[in-house]
Amino acid sequence: MNCSDWEQEIAGESESVALEEHLRACGHCREFADELERNRAALQAVAIHPAAFDAVRLRVLDEIRAKKQRGAWWAWSAVAAAACVAVLCASIALQNWKKPAPPKPLVAAKDPVVMVSSIAPVQPVVKAHHRPIHKFGPVSASAGPAHNPEPLVVKMLTNDPNVIIIWLVDQKGDSL
Amino acid sequence: MADFRLTADDAGQPAGLIARAKLGDLDAFDQIMRLHQKQVLMTALRLLGNMEDAQDAAQETFLRLYNSLNRLPDVLEMKSWLYRVTVNICNDVHRQRGRRKTEPLTGPEPVSSHPDPEKAWSEVERGQLVEMALKTLPEKERAAVVLRDVQGLSTREVAEILGSSEVTVRSQISVARGKLKKFTDRYLRKHDI
Repeated sequence: MNCSDWEQEIAGESESVALEEHLRACGHCREFADELERNRAALQAVAIHPAAFDAVRLRVLDEIRAKKQRGAWWAWSAVAAAACVAVLCASIALQNWKKPAPPKPLVAAKDPVVMVSSIAPVQPVVKAHHRPIHKFGPVSASAGPAHNPEPLVVKMLTNDPNVIIIWLVDQKGDSL
Repeated sequence: MADFRLTADDAGQPAGLIARAKLGDLDAFDQIMRLHQKQVLMTALRLLGNMEDAQDAAQETFLRLYNSLNRLPDVLEMKSWLYRVTVNICNDVHRQRGRRKTEPLTGPEPVSSHPDPEKAWSEVERGQLVEMALKTLPEKERAAVVLRDVQGLSTREVAEILGSSEVTVRSQISVARGKLKKFTDRYLRKHDI
């Protein structure tokens, strides 16, 4: 091993007996080890003024307090917003409760359309109890519908297409 | 279990302080900060190289500690946790700045009037020079050598904090020390010291 190899051992904090022996024998490597030690001491010898520590702590505490205040502000804002919403909802509900129910919309009913039409093929209704009963003679063939005129049909249409009122009347105006 | 963790003896009953701090007691948290301020600020100062950035990093570290009080798995792990967070924050600061170039060999002015240049080269000036040399190191080597040589942690402790193996950390420390030595040698040769 040359000194370069030993320097790596020194920098790597080797605690081997061989290194100890080499350091006792080699001035160059001993100087290398001393130089590393001086650098290490220089790194550790840092003086920080107490005010620097105080400043950090104060900044941290101020930041925490400010954060707490911000948190409290947001919490109160949330509570206030929730309260406003609740009041608004309550007022709307109260207003609707006091107001009378609106009248139902009136639907103008149209007059039913009346159509009068004649129905030709309607079989005249013969009411047996209205006709004279000839007990003793044959029933004349002419005696029948000769005097029975065509009935009129009065059809009433309503707004509902499914509802049709049909009113049958004869010429006398009697309902059939 | 690493032996550098916070214990009740060296931290003045931290469990009680932490319990009070968790409840929002800022005086208790202030006490916790006092216990760790030197560790955090000195590490940040050595990693970042200037007090202003170091104070910002220390502030951020303690704020994260405050926000993590309820999540810390073990109050005794606070010390290693603080080291880890401090190193991470300082690395973030470095990345935000952009990768640093090698500092020019300006350094502190040598005291030429002194008859013995070796004596003239004071420890303060060496400290400034080593601090400059630290800035030239990659972040992992810098963190390893700061935790080992400035904070005096063992290789195993450094490995645990940095999440590396002991072999890797030992190699990083060795390489970093060699680079620091070369940097100071070049400076001393340039100024005939």
